[in-house]
Amino acid sequence: MQEILMDRPGHRVLLMGNEAIARGALEAGLDLMAAYPGTPSSEIGEVLARVGKEAGLYVEWSINEKVAFDVAVGASLVGARSLVAMKNAGLNVAMDTFMTVPYGGVKGGLLVVVADDPDAHYSSSEQDTRPAAVYAEIPCFEPADQQEAKDMTVAALALSEQLELPVFLRSVSRISHASGDVTLGELPKRAERKLGFNKHWKLPYRWNVYGPPGAVSKHRWLHEHLDMAREYAERCPFNRLTLDPGAELGIIASGVAASYVREALAYLGVRANLLILGLVHPLPDRLVTELLRASRRVLVVEEGDPAVETQIRCLAQEVAPGLPIYGKYRRNAVLLPYGELNPARVRDAVVRVADVAPPKAAGAEDGRSAAKARAAALVVPRSSSLCAGCSHLGSYWALRQALQRRNGVHIVNGDIGCYEQGGYGIFSRQIEAGPEDSRRWPVQSPYEILDTNYVMGGGIGLAQGQAQVGYKGGKVVAVAGDSTFAHATLPAVLNAAYHRADITFLVLANNWTAMTGHQPNPTTGVTAMGDQAPVFDIEQAARALGITDVHTASAYDLEAARQAIEKALDHEGPSVVILTGECQLQVQRRTPVKDPKTRVDRERCNGCRMCVQLGCPAVTFDAGVKKAGIDTTLCVDCGLCVQVCPRKAIGTGGNG
Amino acid sequence: MATNIIVAGVGGQGSILASHIIAEAAIRTGVRRQQPVRVRVGETFGAAMRGGAVASHVRIGPDVYGPLVAEDEADLIIAMEPLEGLRLGARYLSPRGIAVLNERPLPPTDVKIGACRYPSTAEIGEALRGLGEAVYFLPGEELAVQAGHVRTLSVVMIGAAFGTGRLPISQEDLEDTIRARVPPKTVEVNLRAFRLGMEAMASRLERAW
Repeated sequence: MQEILMDRPGHRVLLMGNEAIARGALEAGLDLMAAYPGTPSSEIGEVLARVGKEAGLYVEWSINEKVAFDVAVGASLVGARSLVAMKNAGLNVAMDTFMTVPYGGVKGGLLVVVADDPDAHYSSSEQDTRPAAVYAEIPCFEPADQQEAKDMTVAALALSEQLELPVFLRSVSRISHASGDVTLGELPKRAERKLGFNKHWKLPYRWNVYGPPGAVSKHRWLHEHLDMAREYAERCPFNRLTLDPGAELGIIASGVAASYVREALAYLGVRANLLILGLVHPLPDRLVTELLRASRRVLVVEEGDPAVETQIRCLAQEVAPGLPIYGKYRRNAVLLPYGELNPARVRDAVVRVADVAPPKAAGAEDGRSAAKARAAALVVPRSSSLCAGCSHLGSYWALRQALQRRNGVHIVNGDIGCYEQGGYGIFSRQIEAGPEDSRRWPVQSPYEILDTNYVMGGGIGLAQGQAQVGYKGGKVVAVAGDSTFAHATLPAVLNAAYHRADITFLVLANNWTAMTGHQPNPTTGVTAMGDQAPVFDIEQAARALGITDVHTASAYDLEAARQAIEKALDHEGPSVVILTGECQLQVQRRTPVKDPKTRVDRERCNGCRMCVQLGCPAVTFDAGVKKAGIDTTLCVDCGLCVQVCPRKAIGTGGNG
Repeated sequence: MATNIIVAGVGGQGSILASHIIAEAAIRTGVRRQQPVRVRVGETFGAAMRGGAVASHVRIGPDVYGPLVAEDEADLIIAMEPLEGLRLGARYLSPRGIAVLNERPLPPTDVKIGACRYPSTAEIGEALRGLGEAVYFLPGEELAVQAGHVRTLSVVMIGAAFGTGRLPISQEDLEDTIRARVPPKTVEVNLRAFRLGMEAMASRLERAW
């Protein structure tokens, strides 16, 4: 039996936050889970997909978050308990359904889990999604640790059914990807859930916002149910108020910030009235009022934007006017409105608001800061790289060669996936920005090739704008992976075809949603639950959408790949080039190269560093003797560096 | 009271597995001794790709809530790779803390392309000795190969961590957790790796005295 299905109530185990959410969903008797993978949320789906068949629930990796959201809502409308999970940016994709479904709500419990990423460890922004729950007018939970992540998942699904509203659970990287001890609860006895559909369930035309009496009356219904949530907030077991009669300071903390606050108070020996909020929308007005009135000044600590703080300030204006409130908001800011919290930042904020002397820190000895500076000066960056033998290395090499044969300031519009590393840069190379032509910083590695990058599916749209407005300074290119092609570029490809945009769109097809942990996508031929599925053909899709100039080449045949890209660049109008090569990590998992034979002939090598510019982590360079080498612990004999070397100094004969 | 440990390494070296084994063993010890032990592991692990810097914060104690170790408060730094040991040690090593580093460097791309210089073992050792109580280098891969497979490196380093005497965990609980966590066919190799790491650390400590 799989461990996450352990039926031992009271047993303590170590669970990652995402595993805890998955366990909570199982304890709540979930029927359906739909998601598009996105770090740091993906493990929720991975865990549930792994146990789905055994636990009797349906799990899918949907094409994108919007589709996943609709799938989950559909299940809920016929009475099933469903969960949809995504990362912060994923909610933006699902926003349309997210904003509209609360008008009339749901039947079976619907839990929306969004894992935010303060500090942007794995994301293109630090976007705090809690204001979206306020915007959509639905309840929002925020766990302080892994135990709460599990317990809140159970409570939130029940609350959703009780209020007939979708419920939001906001996690962060430091919850989802952190682990903690969790005491397991009971798993329900599994019985076939009775599904049913009632078009006029409690309200006429319940599931149709246009149905009479119309959207405004459904909005009124939403507010009545949000008022029920306000009552729940006052008795919600995850909202805890502790008053200290001797304390002048009041602290309100939510989510993981509550964990930092509890430790900071113990470390500093500071007394405070403390309100820990596990439900951050709607707020428990009476509990907050009690804390505000018992305190002379108040500190609000939360991860992300001042989302709780602004709600507190609104309430304080009525119930405690003039009370100084500190947090992240403007002149009373004692915490930064960007980056993530850590123990030092929270201690510092408490010290400033409590107006106590800072304790002598562990690192305050004489000369320590100088010693720390000396140690830090020795540290060099570890810039992220693609894997040894990755097909993207070949695609980017071929693209670079094709573009270098044409004059101009070409624009390569990137997208989101492993290949986004094409825009990560090399940290140890200092770039001085300025008004001059950016060609004075020639691209020396695949990590410097992408010129723009924002969101999934964005690159091909940006390219069309550049081309259609008449940019003639160079070629206009967009790049996306196969999973992204399905997720977010299909309408954009149709748009390019219909409007004859003069762009070249490269699809780097490696058969997996690799960056988030190798989830299958429609080009893989298998579903999340392991069933066979018909393979989605990108070439046929591009032609069906109206692209006439379509090329396919192997990313491991650099000459063929370059020629395909050149033909596309020279074609007037939209072109698609599909560069194929399965994710090398997956290839190596199935059929590992145990004893790679690729070697550099040191006699022939003249130290030109072309192979280094390929960007493969298995290619090394000895700056002392100016010779290249191969790290045989990483090399997979893909043959890319062999093709790149102008002196034919790299061979596959072994030895040497 | 908390024991703060940082496990550092490069993606693919098994540092995440190591941090989870230590944390799980701590729960076992807490449950068995009926102590109110809480455990947190804070880490960032992003893409599936190999080769990125990975750091786990492992925190054990009755009053532990948050997932992060505060700066200058790591009692123990276990590094699968010396540069990562330096990176984390420079920020987190407590004046009373110990750093145990596997001595084999995995140079980052930045070094491989000649953009910057990898510090020498002597420089890393000296820098960390200026910040903590003691610094030890171990031939981790050699010990792993001696145990039976180079991929037991992370378990060698768990053994070394235990050998410092700084883990509030019993040897039995660590070994039980290793048994439960590694693939069944590799249990013996991994237990050998654990003991070799533990003994290597113990002999270093003796020499230090």
